[in-house]
Amino acid sequence: MLLLGILMNFTRLDWAIVVSYLIASVSIGWLGKRYIGNVSHYLVAGRELGVYIGIATLAATEIGTITFMYNAELGYKYGFSAFAAALISGLVMIIVGRTGFVIGRFRQLKLMTVPEFFEVKYSRGLRLLTGVLVAVGGILNMGIFLKIEGEFLTIVSGINVRYLVAVMTVILLLELIYTVVGGMVSVVITDFLQYVLLSVATIMVSISAVYHAGWANIVHKVTVTLGDAGFSPIQNPKFGLTFIIWQVLLWFSVVTCWQTTAMRMFSTKSPETSQRVMTWTGFIFLGRGMLPMLWGIAALTLFGVGRTDHGVPLPVVGGQELAPIDAMPAMLATILGPGIKGIVVAGMLAATMSVNSSYLLGWSAVISQDVILPIRRLMNKPPLDSRRQILVNRVANLFVGLFLMFWGLYYTPPGAVYLYLNITGTIFLAGAFVSVVGGLYWKRANTTGGYLAMLMGAAGAVVPFFFLHWSENVTGFVAFGLAAAGLVGGSLLGTSSASNNFSGTTQLTTGETAQ
Amino acid sequence: MNGWRWFWTVCLLVAGPSFAYITVVVAIRGLRDLLEMFRALAVRPTGDGNTPRES
Repeated sequence: MLLLGILMNFTRLDWAIVVSYLIASVSIGWLGKRYIGNVSHYLVAGRELGVYIGIATLAATEIGTITFMYNAELGYKYGFSAFAAALISGLVMIIVGRTGFVIGRFRQLKLMTVPEFFEVKYSRGLRLLTGVLVAVGGILNMGIFLKIEGEFLTIVSGINVRYLVAVMTVILLLELIYTVVGGMVSVVITDFLQYVLLSVATIMVSISAVYHAGWANIVHKVTVTLGDAGFSPIQNPKFGLTFIIWQVLLWFSVVTCWQTTAMRMFSTKSPETSQRVMTWTGFIFLGRGMLPMLWGIAALTLFGVGRTDHGVPLPVVGGQELAPIDAMPAMLATILGPGIKGIVVAGMLAATMSVNSSYLLGWSAVISQDVILPIRRLMNKPPLDSRRQILVNRVANLFVGLFLMFWGLYYTPPGAVYLYLNITGTIFLAGAFVSVVGGLYWKRANTTGGYLAMLMGAAGAVVPFFFLHWSENVTGFVAFGLAAAGLVGGSLLGTSSASNNFSGTTQLTTGETAQ
Repeated sequence: MNGWRWFWTVCLLVAGPSFAYITVVVAIRGLRDLLEMFRALAVRPTGDGNTPRES
């Protein structure tokens, strides 16, 4: 009775679909436990991912409800010109996949985390610094997921907002159950199920949105509301050439150095497999961006009749004015019928759980492998065996989950969510990307340059954005520029790195014992 | 504006069907990959899989 009381938009059929999905997902995820023999199984699934399961887990990891929400917000606010961000993400992935830029060599190195490279190439101290920056930036980045996802569920399902915290806490706990126990193996299994479900939901929503809004109406609404700026990313004042250049740099760094993406590359059977996974996922990324943006534009067409805010009419649904980011879920609550709504919400829950479980594993892996273990060694403590490393990973996983529960539900990001996520990611991505590329392809790159790149990249993201209040585009541009200047300047001034023996085409080996 | 409009329409016509097609292929062949992964993990040693860097 309580459930029936709090669910207004859901029929019993919708609810049955969602509950069935949750039970199936957690049960299947639990199966992964039986395959965890050592830390390599736990963190990179024994490096046994084939092409198709690799595509499923990579796509599921980077497509969440948060992705649908921020892309729909971009579409609502900026029209078709927002498609530029989606196009860049897909094309960059295809280029990286075809060339093997960074990812091929990363896979040859048999790494488990991105900061691990910094010890191989530079020094243990730089690995520790990078680990801290990656963990802080990554967890803060993930920190807003729960709130945004909760907003989506509240609006689409009609759950009373009073129960939002309880519902999101339950979802997080369900994710933690299988992620903590089964690590990457459980995440991969559930990602497969979740990828199929979220993709079906994406296709259904896309068809439904265009059907209800009408393609001609969509184009007309963007034309009269935004004019040329609704189609041309060059003419849109929010974007422009600096945005495009920043996005290209950002996406090259994301697909090569973002921990959760890189972990999939580390988990594949071979460097060639990792390249094929990346190439095909690039095509998925075109749809990952453009389709939700289209939902946002459809929501603008159907509900964009309120007072104008920054040149765009706010959405009005049932006489109530909403924020642009809430227009898309409000549209889904209106246009989807019984049963379909259950499938779509189950799909969105699948997207939520696949992203959150992968991110929990990714950031906790960095905390355990690149922060806790190096600190132990600096303190001259004895090495941990594989079982204890898994235990440390599981505890770190729980810690990240608890942090998210208390931080994520109460923090409200400023401005467009997409741009906020980009900036928090840039805090470590600028320095990490420059140091990784320099470390792999430039013989002169050394530890001094690596330190300067990480510190100047982080400062270049934090100071202009949070203290000088520069735009996201210029901030991102400055962060990458400073990181590059730091690496080049530091490397030319410092002494050559002793471990710099794998530039060029040299085969990489690091002596991983069991793999 | 017309040029951009047609450009984004074509992009959408590539992105949507590609997304649907890859979903179908991955749903079928991914299951086979998953079973292969289970088999490989089941026969792999369960000792330390760590590198000197990690312990």
